[in-house]
Amino acid sequence: MNYGPAMPIDDIFDRPTLRRRRDRAAASSTESFFLISEVAARIAERVGEVNRQFPLALDLGCHRGEFAACVAANEAVNEQIATLVQSDLSAPMAMAAGDTGPVLATDPEALPFRAGSFDLITSVLDLHAVNDLPGALLQIRHALKPDGLFLAALFGSGTLAELRQSWLDAEAALKGGASPRVAPFAELGDCAALLQRAGFTLPVADSDLITVSYENPLHLMADLKAIGQSNPLTGRNRTPVTRTLLSEAAERYYTGFSDDEGRVPASFEILFLTGWAPTEL
Amino acid sequence: MNQAHSAIDPKLLEILVCPLTKGPLRYDQKNAELISDRAGLAYPIRDGIPIMLTEEARELRDNEKKKA
Repeated sequence: MNYGPAMPIDDIFDRPTLRRRRDRAAASSTESFFLISEVAARIAERVGEVNRQFPLALDLGCHRGEFAACVAANEAVNEQIATLVQSDLSAPMAMAAGDTGPVLATDPEALPFRAGSFDLITSVLDLHAVNDLPGALLQIRHALKPDGLFLAALFGSGTLAELRQSWLDAEAALKGGASPRVAPFAELGDCAALLQRAGFTLPVADSDLITVSYENPLHLMADLKAIGQSNPLTGRNRTPVTRTLLSEAAERYYTGFSDDEGRVPASFEILFLTGWAPTEL
Repeated sequence: MNQAHSAIDPKLLEILVCPLTKGPLRYDQKNAELISDRAGLAYPIRDGIPIMLTEEARELRDNEKKKA
């Protein structure tokens, strides 16, 4: 039987749109980046727990330099890292990351680094939006020197559970159907195997739950937009959200999840991935 | 864009390769570009920041190509 030519499979994430959003987000207020800063501090802390020097390090998906700022603020970690290269999918974002060291624009799915370049590669809340995570991890491992360390944080499946539910319920009620509004995120249980498959030794995956309290759901949505993390799915509904649908989603978020003080929580499950490049490459 | 402004960090230059072919790059300081002969692409350097994205790269004209 002739099945005809293979159909191209659409990418889950619309990376060109993601890049444009991050370009715009480069000019957002510093406060919007609090979650990135918080997770960057936790990654910096983990670097500090490793008793080792990292002469050349890369922060992949540097946003506006939150990780570099954490390194600069932590004397011990600052002494561990001699040079920190910062890169982001968005050039304006990388530019905003400042002048603490070399900066460039890169796509984690097509890294422009010679094999065996870095002693340490970190990534703070960036890799959840790549289309080919196994491929990106493999390239990261290649870019590491033998015995180099990889430390990444990405959103896990519990992230924005309340928002996902509220959109689903609101759209089901008003339209009798739903479209994807919150991206699917990785499962903690899959991460160690992913690291192993990419050739990392001593792979470890663990998670932290961060709950942020918001005055109302619209503030959460505004924050996500401000840091360039609004719906990046290729399969998203391109019709602008109507005011009625938006208030329905906000209403459901509020009635479903608000606390005694009338504030709403937003859950972020942060997955931490740790792996080492093998001694013999 | 002036030349001094588009100067690339030497440490970075040492480790950069073409994201598509992982092959070597030629640094064209005058035009602020990193050239991948194998891919036939020139990656721009804007304000000293190499833009290593294929969608931002310029395709080389035939007379610019060197044998990779």
